[in-house]
Amino acid sequence: MLQPALVEKILNAALESGGDFAEIFVEDRTDRDLGMLGGVVERALSGRDYGIGIRILQGVFSVYAYTSDLREEYLIETARKAARALKGSSGDLVLNFNQVQFEDRHPILQRPSASQNSRKIELMRQAHEALKASHPLIEQTSVGILNWEQKVLIANSDGLWAEDTRTYTRMRMSAIAVDGTQRQSGLRVPGAYAGLELLEQMDIAAEAREAGRIAGTMVKAGYAPSGQFPVVIENGFGGVLFHEACGHGLESTAVGIGASVFAGKLGQQVASPLVTAIDDGTIPNAWGSLNIDDEGMPTQRNVLIENGILKGYLIDKVGSRRMNMPPTGSGRRQSYKFAPASRMNNTFIAEGSSTREEMIANTEYGIYAKSMGGGSVNTATSDFNFAINEAYMIRNGQIAEPVKGATLIGKGLEALQHIDMVGNNLDHGQGMCGSISGSLPVNCGQPTLRVSKMTIGGRKGE
Amino acid sequence: MNITQFQETLFRQGEQYGYTDMEIYYSGSRAISVVVRQSEVDTYRITETNGLSFRGMIGGKLGYAFTEKIAEDSIAFLLEEAEGNAAVLEMEDDDELFAGSEKYPQLDTYSALLMQTDPDTLIEAAKTVERIVLEQDERIAMVRQSAASVREHELLIANTRGLHCHQQDSVGSVSVYLLAGEEQETVTGGWFDYSLTDFSLIRLEEIAARAVAETVSKLGAAPVPSDNYPIILREDAASNLLQTHASIFSAENVEKGFSSLVGKLGQRIAGSNITLIDDPLMTGVPGTSGFDAEGVAAQRNELIHEGALMTFLHNRKTAAKAGVETTGNAAKGGYKGKIGVSYHNLYLAPGTRSLDELVASTERGILITELQGLHAGTNPTSGNFSLACLGYLIENGNISRPVNQITVSGNFYDLLGEVEELGNDLRFIGSCTSPSLKIASLSISGS
Repeated sequence: MLQPALVEKILNAALESGGDFAEIFVEDRTDRDLGMLGGVVERALSGRDYGIGIRILQGVFSVYAYTSDLREEYLIETARKAARALKGSSGDLVLNFNQVQFEDRHPILQRPSASQNSRKIELMRQAHEALKASHPLIEQTSVGILNWEQKVLIANSDGLWAEDTRTYTRMRMSAIAVDGTQRQSGLRVPGAYAGLELLEQMDIAAEAREAGRIAGTMVKAGYAPSGQFPVVIENGFGGVLFHEACGHGLESTAVGIGASVFAGKLGQQVASPLVTAIDDGTIPNAWGSLNIDDEGMPTQRNVLIENGILKGYLIDKVGSRRMNMPPTGSGRRQSYKFAPASRMNNTFIAEGSSTREEMIANTEYGIYAKSMGGGSVNTATSDFNFAINEAYMIRNGQIAEPVKGATLIGKGLEALQHIDMVGNNLDHGQGMCGSISGSLPVNCGQPTLRVSKMTIGGRKGE
Repeated sequence: MNITQFQETLFRQGEQYGYTDMEIYYSGSRAISVVVRQSEVDTYRITETNGLSFRGMIGGKLGYAFTEKIAEDSIAFLLEEAEGNAAVLEMEDDDELFAGSEKYPQLDTYSALLMQTDPDTLIEAAKTVERIVLEQDERIAMVRQSAASVREHELLIANTRGLHCHQQDSVGSVSVYLLAGEEQETVTGGWFDYSLTDFSLIRLEEIAARAVAETVSKLGAAPVPSDNYPIILREDAASNLLQTHASIFSAENVEKGFSSLVGKLGQRIAGSNITLIDDPLMTGVPGTSGFDAEGVAAQRNELIHEGALMTFLHNRKTAAKAGVETTGNAAKGGYKGKIGVSYHNLYLAPGTRSLDELVASTERGILITELQGLHAGTNPTSGNFSLACLGYLIENGNISRPVNQITVSGNFYDLLGEVEELGNDLRFIGSCTSPSLKIASLSISGS
């Protein structure tokens, strides 16, 4: 990507005016996106993102500059321009870059290439056929395969030199069911840090049938009730509960400046003793995994909460300076257009001992949230929300009629205390997490669990 | 290699490669932004980026490819990728490139003065807002960030059929986001404003005062009992709700089955008080535009006229399919996307009374000021929404207390017919704008 001699010049220019740390992030990314609507290939896009982000720190003050113009003289000029935001003088920097050594934990078997197009279209057609056949009310199908390969080079004035290539593949399967005037969509979006082998090994028809089943079931469902209920949240992407209710509140971006309800609570009971929560960037080929984070540090397994006690935060370089704590391999960014920030990788609640059947049977009247959508949180107040895409009433310990999607809301600290049963069936789901440093692949995971009381945004009537 | 040289070389080599028609869509932007915390500059950003999308006709199909690297060695990449992408397309009704409209509206969307704003002026502005905020109320716990920026954007669409559309725009903005607290309670809030012409016109005192009022007025909030309530959606919340559902007016989404407005053209779909307009020719607003993403001259369109659905938004392809003229609403989600359909400057025609008057005429209800999780809690296809929200309880025509930890649910298609009154408070801060809306009844879930 860039030669060490040029990188050294850029870093020196960046430190001309008193910065104490400078870093470059060079990115060369190729995207491939195929889309099929109603069985017809109607979208085929590909292209290349290419640019550099230059960051300078002086204490916790940061300067960030980026450009997609990678001519040598222009890069040095950009670094100088960024440096001028600081007031100070330069020290001469002689750099001996040390390559960050890591074992590649995420083998890629079939790297993305244009030559895979015809095979991808075959796989998309399988999904289309399965979606169409999944339910008599399905009127439209939409299938897409997105993959990208991101080459990165991260180097800094501490002598760090790290390079890696990240490969992602995701398939989107969506069905629309129509019943009279009602239209409802169902969606499955499995993905991994992997090449085309992900889709070759996946039971595509089963995933597609699941999307069709959701659309077909929900189009005929009545509205969810409103008010506060016990909620049994299904495993896998149900982990969005923890992601929103707690995960974002543990990021140093919020904690470091005291703008999180979890700031200053290390060692305290913040959740039900049944809750142990982990963020693990090392899980082989998982959607949210990385060998090294976007500051060049190897990712690691971070225990956040253990038996309800707050054990750790997610900390990036600036957070580490602010909080005087070591970074956790959590510095991430969508692209060179963003300065890195502390972010989640694969976050999940560890297994407990209950079974799904026990949780349902022990709930007299409540909601069974079977598949979840995205959500959001205000870390300063811990007010969070996330959407249920498929839900059922629980009556007298049994799953009863389906009810349309609704939003679940709560306050993070309260919701974590109200988790009163945790299942033995941990699974993970894939999402895109949007925050200060852009949109990033993350896994949200959990076993099935029960929250004794949450507000569900349904309609009056029960 | 500048963009003109790049275009010439690309088109020349493309012709040799076998392309008949070719087009570039080039987007460039430049910005400076500062964030201040505790009277110090916290972050300073200087950003510059370009992106280019190429599309070309080869083998009777239109292939797409994009790059951020405007350099000689990207040309072969674009030509090969677009050919490969064209080869797999299966649509029969392929689009062709546009030679240009007869004439284009002359719109002034760029301010050189704005872009000359000194970075120190940005820093001073952000510091000033932070200082004023902290002076206003002792319950302010922290200014999380006070930010100021100027940015400019350039768009060029040119093709081998003679199309050449170029536009530049610029904006300066100031925002502040803060935390306030009382005992164990913390609330957050903020405000922002912008200028399209002159940074010094941004009223810093007003931003600070409004941010403080927005924030401290949330202290002491509690849910209300679950029930159906008369609702006033304040203009900013109403604008967000409209924006989230605006895709239902795209002919592309209608045709694909993603909008419940299918088959409703010419019919009454909203109350007679609802007129929905897309007006790219309005000046002094962020959504001003002289042409669309295919290079078609932009025009004013009424989508809903006094409750009746008059037209969908079209690009050339959807228009040809429907047997109508394009409405000039081709759109691209940045330079990477495929040509789709979107609005330029969409807004609901306002009513006559102010928000205060709407509140005063409400016996009991909820004023909603903020909707959250719109990306997840809405479904434009079905129109059903269920959203976390914040606001105030209205009793006897007065705001009696703040409300939080509640959700509001309803259906957007139904809501179009249930607007009792529209406020007169249009505020064009984005490209999709609604005045405050008074709705007879929506379901609130709370305690």
